[in-house]
Amino acid sequence: MRERHDSRKGLHVRQLKIAIVLVLVGGLLTTAAFLMAFYTAEVQQFGTVTFDSEIETVFPLAPPELQPGGGKIAYVQPWFSQKIFYFHVPVAEASFLVLIIAAYFAVRFLVTKRAAYDTKSRIAMETSLVFVVLTMITGVLWTKASWGVWWEWEPRLTTYFIMMLMMIAYFVLRNSIEEDERRATYAAVFAVVAAINAPISFMITRIIPSNHPVVFQPGMAPSNLLPFIIGQIGMLLIGYGIYTARMSEERLRERVEITKEALEG
Amino acid sequence: MANRSTDAAAPGSSRSGRISSWRQFRAILRKDIVMELRTKEMLTSMGLYALLVLVVYYITLSQAGQNFEVRRIAAGLLWLVFIFTSLLGLNRSLVHEKDQGCLDALLISPTDRPVIFFGKAVGNLIFLLIVEAFIVPLFYFIFLSSSMTTAMGPLWMIALALLLGSIGIAGVGTLLATMSVNTKGKDFILAVLFIPIMFPLLLAVVAGTSVVLQAEPGYAQTFWQMMGLAAGYDTVMLLAAFALYEFVLGA
Repeated sequence: MRERHDSRKGLHVRQLKIAIVLVLVGGLLTTAAFLMAFYTAEVQQFGTVTFDSEIETVFPLAPPELQPGGGKIAYVQPWFSQKIFYFHVPVAEASFLVLIIAAYFAVRFLVTKRAAYDTKSRIAMETSLVFVVLTMITGVLWTKASWGVWWEWEPRLTTYFIMMLMMIAYFVLRNSIEEDERRATYAAVFAVVAAINAPISFMITRIIPSNHPVVFQPGMAPSNLLPFIIGQIGMLLIGYGIYTARMSEERLRERVEITKEALEG
Repeated sequence: MANRSTDAAAPGSSRSGRISSWRQFRAILRKDIVMELRTKEMLTSMGLYALLVLVVYYITLSQAGQNFEVRRIAAGLLWLVFIFTSLLGLNRSLVHEKDQGCLDALLISPTDRPVIFFGKAVGNLIFLLIVEAFIVPLFYFIFLSSSMTTAMGPLWMIALALLLGSIGIAGVGTLLATMSVNTKGKDFILAVLFIPIMFPLLLAVVAGTSVVLQAEPGYAQTFWQMMGLAAGYDTVMLLAAFALYEFVLGA
């Protein structure tokens, strides 16, 4: 008995160590991508940002004779607002991936009814919510820099906002149910519904015309692609690190609960 | 009320050991309708609530001035009434089931669980459609009949948009309301779960209704595109709700 306990304790410590290493490596890669974005990445003229009328931006516009026309806008420093791409897009894609993982664990829970999958699904949802909030913050900064407004009810922003609301609703739902099994089942059902709903929202944004830039085009320069990929890998490592750390914390908490009950009984 | 569902289905059970799904479905639907005919509770509360929302609209628009074209935002206002009333109706419809122990009785009876879902969803759909049939003409006379432009698309287009929207609201709403009645903050939880999930459907049906109301040239194309989206949403989400309802009932 004692031996088994020791080996389980060892597992927690090892998990926590792995989590710390993952977060550190991920942070290092993300920082590298950030620096590369400023030093090696070349400036692109992604001409997808169009405006209906005059705008105010924090960045000075190029003189009128240098404006490209056709509804597009050139800045004196066209490079600055592009740099957020190497952070914003990896975070956004990581948030989707983790949401899909949360839904996958929710389905596993519904099929097997094992509490461990419920915990995994909840932790994945938490991690995804962190990324969603980061995406919203970086997105809003970019919007202000590039479009001159903090927020616009533009389809892609809107659907992302809706996704954030669904994740918050997931936790509100969890908090309002007392019984463990019912909470786990309802949360899993809602996670699946939310995961089905998210791509539908995004598909609708593609049908309604939007001025959110589509950066991925064939023939993207290697100097742009490399920091992006590094940033993406770094972000996924950070995500997995957060997830592992929270999981080991959760398991420790469960053990404390069991020990407490044993002591009281 | 629990007895009623078994009573209604009883004749079939003597012939074969198992009652067909269709009979079970009819029994559940009949139970809801008979209960509504006796108490008239759902339709009165939903109808009255919708009227009150219209009064609030009048207050909202009272300072807008003569030149304000209500028609441009009418579709959104109309759907807003239905969102609020359906939140109220869905919550009531399942609170009844739970408080009177009917849901438990249905689970004990040899009823197929998908049938319970369709029975409740169709019941909610019928009540919502009745409220809509009553509110839409009223809304037109109060807010749109004095409008300067009278051009409007055909009525059946609006009816189609209302039907597609209501199917999604009733189907997904039944799933979410079954969950929310078992939580601490019943109606609040329903609103928190319901509105983000309904978002794509509402966007599509409001756009569809709006183009018909304004009837600008070439509106039919946009209308059919939006109806396609709404129908796609209904199909996907109803299948998901249908598959997941069993787990919700089992918990």
